[in-house]
Amino acid sequence: MSDVAIAVKNLSKSFKIAHQRDGLPGYRTLRDDLIGLPQRMLARWKRNGQLTSETFWALKDVSFEVKKGEVVGIIGRNGTGKSTLLKILSRITEPTSGGADIYGRVGALLEVGTGFHPELTGRENIFMNGAILGMKRVEIQRKFAEIVAFAGIDKFLDTPVKRYSTGMYVRLAFAVAAHLDPEILLVDEVLAVGDTEFQQKCLGKMHDVSAAGRTVIFISHSMEVVSRLCPRAIWLHEGQLISDGPSDAVIAKYSDAGDRSAIQT
Amino acid sequence: MSDTKAIVTEFVKYAICRIAAQAIILSVPGAWPASGNANCATIQSSKPLALRERYLKIAPLSTESPIVTTVAELSTRPIRTQARQQKPTFRIRPTKGWAALNVRELWKYRDLLWILVERDTKLLYKQTALGVAWVVMQPLVAAVIFAVVFGRVARLPSDGAPYLLFVFCGLTVWTYFSQALQHAGNSLVRNANLVSKVYFPKLLLPLAQTLRGLVDFTVTLVVLLVLMAIYRVPPTFRLAVLPVFLFFMTLTATGVALWFSALSVKYRDCTHALQYFIQIWLYASPVVYPISMIPERWRPLFALNPAVGFIEGFRWAVLGHSVLNPSLLCITIVMSLVVLFSGAFFFRRAERGFADII
Repeated sequence: MSDVAIAVKNLSKSFKIAHQRDGLPGYRTLRDDLIGLPQRMLARWKRNGQLTSETFWALKDVSFEVKKGEVVGIIGRNGTGKSTLLKILSRITEPTSGGADIYGRVGALLEVGTGFHPELTGRENIFMNGAILGMKRVEIQRKFAEIVAFAGIDKFLDTPVKRYSTGMYVRLAFAVAAHLDPEILLVDEVLAVGDTEFQQKCLGKMHDVSAAGRTVIFISHSMEVVSRLCPRAIWLHEGQLISDGPSDAVIAKYSDAGDRSAIQT
Repeated sequence: MSDTKAIVTEFVKYAICRIAAQAIILSVPGAWPASGNANCATIQSSKPLALRERYLKIAPLSTESPIVTTVAELSTRPIRTQARQQKPTFRIRPTKGWAALNVRELWKYRDLLWILVERDTKLLYKQTALGVAWVVMQPLVAAVIFAVVFGRVARLPSDGAPYLLFVFCGLTVWTYFSQALQHAGNSLVRNANLVSKVYFPKLLLPLAQTLRGLVDFTVTLVVLLVLMAIYRVPPTFRLAVLPVFLFFMTLTATGVALWFSALSVKYRDCTHALQYFIQIWLYASPVVYPISMIPERWRPLFALNPAVGFIEGFRWAVLGHSVLNPSLLCITIVMSLVVLFSGAFFFRRAERGFADII
C-alpha cells in the first residue's frame, strides 16, 4: 500500500462527438447555439436530447496501480485512449467518472517542444519550455549547461529556432524535457525522433531516469523499446484494459491479436 | 502547591514520552523515509515530525502507561501508520460546478507567468525596424486624428486643457486597455497547443497579456510627460495617486479579458465580437469628451462603466483641471472588482473543459 505512485480506479472518459447537423461541421458558433436552442429543447423533451451528439468512450473503466519506481509501458493501437489516459493523469483534462490518486510530483511530456516559439532563440526557448514543463527559473539555470550539452547545439544557442533544422529543433526540445526531474514521469511517444544516435541517447537518459527510482509511464508503438525499457506493460484496446503484466507476455499477446485481426481483414 | 506537583508530574511524563517516542520513531524501520532515496527524503521530511507530534499529543493524555500503548501501537502496525501518513499529492476526480480560484497554485507558477510576459514582450516587435516606436505611434496617431475631428471640427470641450493633451491623456489609458483586452482575449486560442498539451493554471495566459501591456503603457507614459512639458502643464503631487488608478485599470482589463478568453474557447465569435465591443466601449467612455458633458443625474449610471473612473482619475492626476467625484470613483472600484471576480470564477469554471474543446 505504502509504495504506490499512481492508483487508477474505474477511470472513464467520454467525449461527445457531434454529428453534422444542417451540413455544418462540429464547430459551434453562438448563432448556431441560439438558433438551435428551441430545437434542442424540443428534442430533449421529446427523446432525451440524443438528437445531435453521440457519446464516445475514449476510456472505459480502467483500473490499475503503479508502484514507486516502476516503469510501465502502455501499448495499443492508435485511438485507443492511451494519450487520453496520460492527459487525465497529468490533469490536463478531467475524467468523466472514476478517478486516480497520484503520489508525487508529476512531469508530463506529451509532445516534443511544447511552447517552443519559432521567433525565439534556442536559449529563450529553453527557459520557456522548461517553465511550461514546470521547472523553476533557477532550476533551469542550474541545468542549462547540461541541457545545451545534451542537445549539442551550443553554436546555435542565440539563433531563432525557426532557422534550426528539424533534427536540431527536436534535439533541443527533448534535451529540456529529459532534464525534468519529477517523481512521476509521463511520456507519450516522443522517442521516435532524431537520428539513431540521438535515439540511443534518449533511451539511455530514460533508463537513467528509471534507475534513479522514478516512476515512469510510457506510451510507445515500438515493441522493442517497450520490452527493453519497461518490465511491465499495459495493453489498452478501445478504451479498455485488455492485459496488464510482464511486458514480454503482454507484447506477445498484443502482437498475436494484431496478427489475427490482420488475417481476418 | 498541588498545582505545582501536578505540573511537575505532567512535565516528567511528557519528557519521558517525548524521549521514548523519539527513540521508537528512530528505531522502527519505515517510520522514516528510506535513506537511499535522497529525492524522496526531501519531500517527506516534514512527515515524521507530524507523526511524532501526533504521538506526543496522545501520550500525555492517556491515563495508564502511555508509553506502553505507544510502543504497542507503533511496533504492531508500522506499515499501517506509514500508509496513514501518506496522502495523495492530488486526487483526480470529475468535478462539477464552481471551482475555487486557487491563488496558491498561481503563485507556484509565478516563474512561468514572468517568462510568458517576457516572451510576449520580446515577440511583439521582433523583426520590426521601428520596434518600440510602434508602441507610441498608436496612441499618438489616434490622438492627432481625434484632436482634428473632435477638437477642431466638432469642438468638443476639454475642461480647459489643450485638446490634444486632453485626448492623449485618455488615449494613454485607453490604448493599454484595448490592447490588453485584445491580446488577453485571444490568448487562449492563440496558445491552443499549450492549453491542450500541458498542465498549468490557464489563468496565466490572459494574465500575462494584461501585465505585458503595462510595459507598453510605461513607454506611452513617458511620451505623455514629454507632451506635458511641451504644453507647460506642471506636474503636481496628484501624480502620486496614479498607481492606484493604474491598479484598477489592470484589474478591469483582466476581468473583462477573462470573460472573453474563456468564452472564445467555445465560441470563436468572441474574437470577432471583441473588436466591436472595444470600439463601442471607447465611445461609451470619456476619452474624447470630458465627463462634465454628461448630465449630472446620469453620472452614477455612467460610472457603472469601470473605464470612466480610471480615465477621469488619470486625467485628474495628470492635468489637474477637473474635479474628482469620490462617489463615482467608488462605483468604479466596486465595478472593477465585480468584473474581475466574476471573470475569474467564470474562467475557473470553464477551465476544465478547455483542453477538450479548444
